[in-house]
Amino acid sequence: MIPNRLALVLAVPLAAGLALPFAGLRANRIAAAEPVWLWQALGAPAAIGIALLAVLTVMWGRVLAAPALAAWLALMGVVAHRLTAGGPDFARVSPGAGFWLGAVALALLLADALAQRRPGPVARLTWLAAAWAALALLLQGWGHVSILQEYAARYMTFWAEAQRHLALALGSFAGAVLVGVPLGVLIQRRAGWRGPVMGTLTAIQTVPSIALFGLLILPLGWLATHVPMARAVGIGGIGMAPAFVALFLYALLPIVTNTVAGLRGIPASVAEAARGMGLSPRQRLARVDIPLALPVILTGARIVLVQNIGLATIGALIGAGGFGTFVFQGLGQTAPDLILLGALPTVALAFSAQVVFDALIDLLPGARA
Amino acid sequence: MIGLNHLSKHYGDTKAVDDVSLTIDKGSVVAIVGTSGSGKSTLLRLVNRLIEPTSGHVTLDGQDTRALPAFELRRRIGYVIQDHGLFPHWTVARNIATVPRLLGWSKARIEARVEELLTLLSLDPAAIGPRFPHQLSGGQMQRVGVARALAAEPELLLMDEPFGALDPVLRGKAQADLRAIQRTLGTTILLVTHDMAEAIALSDRIAVMRAGRVEQFAPPAEILARPATDFVRALVGEGERAFRYLSLTPVGSLAEAGAAEGAPLPADATAAEALNALIWRGTESLALEGGGRVTRSALLRAGHP
Ligand SMILES: Nc1ncnc2c1ncn2[C@@H]1O[C@H](COP(=O)(O)OP(=O)(O)OP(=O)(O)O)[C@@H](O)[C@H]1O
Ligand SMILES: [Mg+2]
Repeated sequence: MIPNRLALVLAVPLAAGLALPFAGLRANRIAAAEPVWLWQALGAPAAIGIALLAVLTVMWGRVLAAPALAAWLALMGVVAHRLTAGGPDFARVSPGAGFWLGAVALALLLADALAQRRPGPVARLTWLAAAWAALALLLQGWGHVSILQEYAARYMTFWAEAQRHLALALGSFAGAVLVGVPLGVLIQRRAGWRGPVMGTLTAIQTVPSIALFGLLILPLGWLATHVPMARAVGIGGIGMAPAFVALFLYALLPIVTNTVAGLRGIPASVAEAARGMGLSPRQRLARVDIPLALPVILTGARIVLVQNIGLATIGALIGAGGFGTFVFQGLGQTAPDLILLGALPTVALAFSAQVVFDALIDLLPGARA
Repeated sequence: MIGLNHLSKHYGDTKAVDDVSLTIDKGSVVAIVGTSGSGKSTLLRLVNRLIEPTSGHVTLDGQDTRALPAFELRRRIGYVIQDHGLFPHWTVARNIATVPRLLGWSKARIEARVEELLTLLSLDPAAIGPRFPHQLSGGQMQRVGVARALAAEPELLLMDEPFGALDPVLRGKAQADLRAIQRTLGTTILLVTHDMAEAIALSDRIAVMRAGRVEQFAPPAEILARPATDFVRALVGEGERAFRYLSLTPVGSLAEAGAAEGAPLPADATAAEALNALIWRGTESLALEGGGRVTRSALLRAGHP
């Protein structure tokens, strides 16, 4: 079989992945890493075998991409196990440049292989679930990899922060949808309100996120000190509340814009027919306008969800918690593994949210005329 | 009976509809013709209150239409528009069921009605019913639009250039279908069209509009024979008047005893069709189905009042 052009292009990073240090060995978690190549960790014959398998993967990417990626991840666990065996307890093995390059190349190969099959929405959701299951399984073998060791040292806080991260991202997302869609419907009907509302939302969008967090500390802090009720429900100048409000405000613009765009995209003849058939204003909104605008609204919602999952990391700066906590702790301690412990789950979450949302959009009946 | 009483609709200085009064008999077909911008669509939309008049009012069976909430009134009036306006996210069956569902008909009754209408419009219920609008041809969409408008057995059917987007062949077929359906159901129809031939072929009376006013409201034969104004005369098209007049006369009414050469013509063909056949065959007379014949001189005499 002749590999496609993308596979040939990806052969370059894959080869680089094999040639660059696969892992880094450190005396302790913040010491400088000593590079370890695959052949050093596993011996030359095994390394040559792996290189041959890599060639096969490029040739038959469509079939082999998934098992190859799984094997590559498993290999990291094996290498870490080998390197730490018998060594001092606080020695660390972290994934090296070679591992990351190879993993990205294989992931892209897999993505291409999946895209070529043009899977339907249900198939994509199934693949996502399978990927999560496979990842959970493979990480079982990563007990000696530094990132997992960081995790093992704080798995209680990890899941607590994961919860806070999700609550922050999904909560502000849900709030933005609940407010943004009606707001979009409203300004679509009252042309006079459109300018001021869109202007305000656009202005908010231009404020840098950290500055917005800072700006919110003042009014919310004031609220907390002057309104006892506010403090009782957890509103304060720092913590969850300002982060929540900031994410919510950022999320409004895409939701409102897409709601308006979706409603505007409804053909004039369809709107005329809905009125002419005798649907009441409420029935028109619920049965015709919203369903027809839904694909566009959901596109906006997808942007917001992914954006919120990423932005929520910054909330840690003002004490909102979430995966950002690990990122900023890691930055403070110059512990790269800790940074990754915060960053990688965020990326995985954002990616999954995107896949789930796209599938949902595709599942809407008749909307893709 | 539908009464339009001194209806006016003004947009600033534009008098889209200007003091129009018409009475439309139950079960009749009235065509509104006129140049673009003469206020045809506006007049139609005043009837189902998609637009509220500046002054005047409409009565339906003697009842003022303002007595009902607008959306309830519209459920009693069928409405067909040129771009059909089918709901793209609903199947054909669900589209047709729109008004019956709003009226709370039982599921069984709705299903039976949808099937009946699809059959009436020569669409296969099993094949077309479950489809979405984008899976239909233009002609099929147009027919589904008509079926949807007829679904709840409306007292009145409003049609705004319903056949405007169809090619000439489909257009002729759709007009024939509409005539047949109207005869079966006895629905009162108010139809807007650009096409004088269509108005003559379909309607019992024609209202000719110009700049918001009705210039003449009369049966097609009278519009052709005695146009009330120069505008009506121009719109009728003096160049085609005789043929249009002939198209109003069934050839059976010109029959006389006797025999003629060639294939016989159906008795319900129009005199215009008969003249066409006569010219093409190069004969002096044509045989009719069911006996008798029609002569060239009889046809020529029928071409003017
Ligand atoms: N909403 C509106 N605002 C202002 N003017 C309007 C509006 N609707 C219609 N008009 C004007 O009223 C006049 C009549 O319009 P209408 O749509 O009834 O014409 P029509 O006879 O249906 O034309 P056509 O054959 O092109 O469809 C036109 O001059 C039009 O510009
Ligand atoms: Mg019009």
